[in-house]
Amino acid sequence: MSELLPVVLTVNGVPHTAAVPPRLLLADLLREHLGLTGTHLGCGHGTCGSCTVVLDGEPVRSCLMLAVQADGSSVTTVEGVAGDGPITPVQQAINDNHGMQCGFCTPGVVCSLTALLDADPAPSDEAITDTLDGHLCRCTGYQNIVKAARQAAGRPVPEVAP
Amino acid sequence: MTVTPTGARPAYVGGSVKRREDPRLLRGRGRYVADIRPAGTVHMAIVRSPHAHARIVGVDASRALATPGVLAVLTWDDIADQAGPIPCIDLYPDSLPTLQTALADGVVRYVGQPVAALVATDEYLAEDALDGVEVTYQRLPAVVDLDEAVAGHTLLYPEHGTNVVTTIAQDVGGDAAVDAAFAAADHVYTETFTVHRYVPAPMETRGVVAEIDPVTERLTLITSTQFPHLVRGFLSGVLGLPESRIRVIAPDVGGGFGAKCEFYCEEILAPLFAMRLRRPVKWIEDRREHMVASSHAREQKHSVRVAVSADGTVTAVDARSWTSNGAACCTLATTPASISSAMLRGPYRIPVYRARAHCVTTNKTPLAVYRGAGHPQAVLVMERMMDIIAADLGRDRVELRLQNMITPAELPNDRGTAIVLAGQVVYDTGDYGAVLRRAAGMIGLTPDWAAEQQRERARGRYLGIGVASLVEETAIGPYESAVVRVDGAGKVTVLTGSSPHGQGHVTTFSQLVADELDIDLEDVTVLHGDTDVVAEGVGTFASRSAAIGGAAARSAAATVKEKALTLASHLLEIDPADLEWRDGAAVVRGASRSMSLAELAGAATAWNAPLPGGLDWNLEATHRHQAPGIAFSHATHAAKVAVDVTTGEIDVLDYVVVHDCGTVINPSIVEGQVHGGVVQGLGGTLFEEVPYAADGTPLARNLADYLLPTVSDVPVIRTDSAESPTPLNPYGMKGAGEGGATGAPGALVNALADALAPFGVHLTSDGPWTPDRVLALIPEEQA
Repeated sequence: MSELLPVVLTVNGVPHTAAVPPRLLLADLLREHLGLTGTHLGCGHGTCGSCTVVLDGEPVRSCLMLAVQADGSSVTTVEGVAGDGPITPVQQAINDNHGMQCGFCTPGVVCSLTALLDADPAPSDEAITDTLDGHLCRCTGYQNIVKAARQAAGRPVPEVAP
Repeated sequence: MTVTPTGARPAYVGGSVKRREDPRLLRGRGRYVADIRPAGTVHMAIVRSPHAHARIVGVDASRALATPGVLAVLTWDDIADQAGPIPCIDLYPDSLPTLQTALADGVVRYVGQPVAALVATDEYLAEDALDGVEVTYQRLPAVVDLDEAVAGHTLLYPEHGTNVVTTIAQDVGGDAAVDAAFAAADHVYTETFTVHRYVPAPMETRGVVAEIDPVTERLTLITSTQFPHLVRGFLSGVLGLPESRIRVIAPDVGGGFGAKCEFYCEEILAPLFAMRLRRPVKWIEDRREHMVASSHAREQKHSVRVAVSADGTVTAVDARSWTSNGAACCTLATTPASISSAMLRGPYRIPVYRARAHCVTTNKTPLAVYRGAGHPQAVLVMERMMDIIAADLGRDRVELRLQNMITPAELPNDRGTAIVLAGQVVYDTGDYGAVLRRAAGMIGLTPDWAAEQQRERARGRYLGIGVASLVEETAIGPYESAVVRVDGAGKVTVLTGSSPHGQGHVTTFSQLVADELDIDLEDVTVLHGDTDVVAEGVGTFASRSAAIGGAAARSAAATVKEKALTLASHLLEIDPADLEWRDGAAVVRGASRSMSLAELAGAATAWNAPLPGGLDWNLEATHRHQAPGIAFSHATHAAKVAVDVTTGEIDVLDYVVVHDCGTVINPSIVEGQVHGGVVQGLGGTLFEEVPYAADGTPLARNLADYLLPTVSDVPVIRTDSAESPTPLNPYGMKGAGEGGATGAPGALVNALADALAPFGVHLTSDGPWTPDRVLALIPEEQA
């Protein structure tokens, strides 16, 4: 238990070296050791998606990954999506479309959509739905998150006719 | 009453202003409880009962105390003389007291009940050490079924001789009128409805950080709560500390929906450890704990008798209900039963009404309010009854509803019932029929619908439409506070006692105050959620913030404006009648002279000269908006579903909400509330449930068992609105937070019943209508 293992990884473009207990979650490395508390733990068992970060280009659940498994990888958290620059089109689209309320699930959504659009700047509606299906949001009912994702993907955002 | 500012600037109120909260949160710069870790923080973990009902024979913590990193363990014996029971604020005078203590006092009554607590230097070590607390139990029989609990063979509190701890009575007309109405009725319908058990499940679980200031000895409790000021009061009472020695902070709160409108054991235990250890103590609920340690909701049974005359007029309802309150009366225990019984008749006249609502203890997690509290159950019952009656009488279900609906000419309308804490039910404003007609039209409930339904059935596709009309209590008191303060630079700070958890108060309260003072939104800062910053307040629940807190903020701004005009009159030596307020300034009518808010504030801070009439310079006002009554929002929901009778899957094809919450501050925020509420109602009707085994073991312990809707489960929700301002505040706002959740179960179950009508199904439950349960409704040979 007391044995510490070395982890070398890049987080939001900054190289880090840490000595961690083998059972430390990646989420806890980010939150507790690196102070990146934008990554949220909503369920701790991989269902809700709030803890999603981008690891070597792929969205991953940081509650289901041990910190030691991230050794040698490059991680982007919600804090690194825009860095110190202006918020990105994904973030702006969420603001434009009222795509968040309490904000707890939002960092995971931002990370997943960012990974999706980095891989495919013009994803289909199906791909957007597939991506968002991995995220539980209890506030918005999803409709405005979908609108935001479509806007960020450059797809038409249909007005819902009454 | 006016909502239009006097200047040329377009009003913010009524506009879909983008949320000011978002940019910070979108960058991951929120600060939720879990993100806060003062230097030296240690971590609390809770030993919880694995049994639904057992006597605690002994607690041996010696092995835990010997575990590396463990600093302290608390059991009931350690705290019995320091911590009173958790208060229940909605008990009736004759309610039997069944209050929970922070740790079980010799008997556990639900799985998950805190038995002991420990603190370790690291949260991983704290979790490890839980196994080192050995609790010896003597198991007792558990009661989970409402009927069995009422029968009382097993008692949770033997000293009371019954499990029925409260019976709420609603009498409109009296017993003789009830008897007469049923004797005279042409048709009498009798049904029993069941509503299952939910968890509100905000995405952020609960959490606390408790800290003692070593210099002042004051306690700070940071907690994920909807009502920090009430928590301060509760903690003061339970620990016997003056409120002045307690500071409660609700930081960013990741949703609540009622689950955080409770005062919990951990909010007592963490301060007790902090006092002993003189170190900050932190506890973050994990999801597995949340499923049993945070409040549950909804579970009720209703038996109703409905008297109807030959022409379809509903003349009387005689109702009984039983709420499965769980193992104790928690902070808000009787409110769901009270609301269900007071509001059962919804928008319909029904001149004679009798209800008896029983609150029943069961060996389950305590049940409390959840978005809509008792309304969704009442709407399910009444709206199912309207469809059952319409079908039996061969009447159009919309026409039957319209025939019985209260018209605008009949408002205000004293319904003769009362809601605990909130008061008399007197419907204020609205046009219920117009909203129903609009929703029915939008969903496609036209003369062609029956033919379409027949055509599709012939092709093996079972379509159904359901409607549900509702009137809901919103904007309850007692009051909310606001302070509006202008600083020396003319910038405005608003303090509100209504502490949000995702509703966008910073945006909407800014809109109200910026309009009142005719200034830029960016010049307004809204602060909330810290009892040291905001001296008094009530909280965010019961769809009350915009109406009560918003009215308080705007009224305070109006007072500041009046004071600014008076100061300008003095400084400019102008008759007040010759001044008007425009563009954030006192302007001399017909002249170019003016004094801006900044100039007035600057004069106020620089000037020591006495003012006439005892006036002071301070551009600050406090306003408490006292609610003179309940504002009632209303809506009609309409759902269109397709049921696959081979798989039992329900596809929600279309969903319409036409709602009226009075004056709308921000349409997109209101719409967001409707969307979110509908999807919570949909989740509960299609998937979400906390089943209990017969021995009292809860069978949903995580979000893989308790299924929340995802994006592909939800339809596009189409909304339209009406605006009937309430006269109960100067600005006309009612509440919008809960109506979505309130209407959805009724509309969806009616749609399902409509779709499956050819199979003769008779639905009297909110399910959840999972595929297996739907299939069980359909005779095998017909599927």
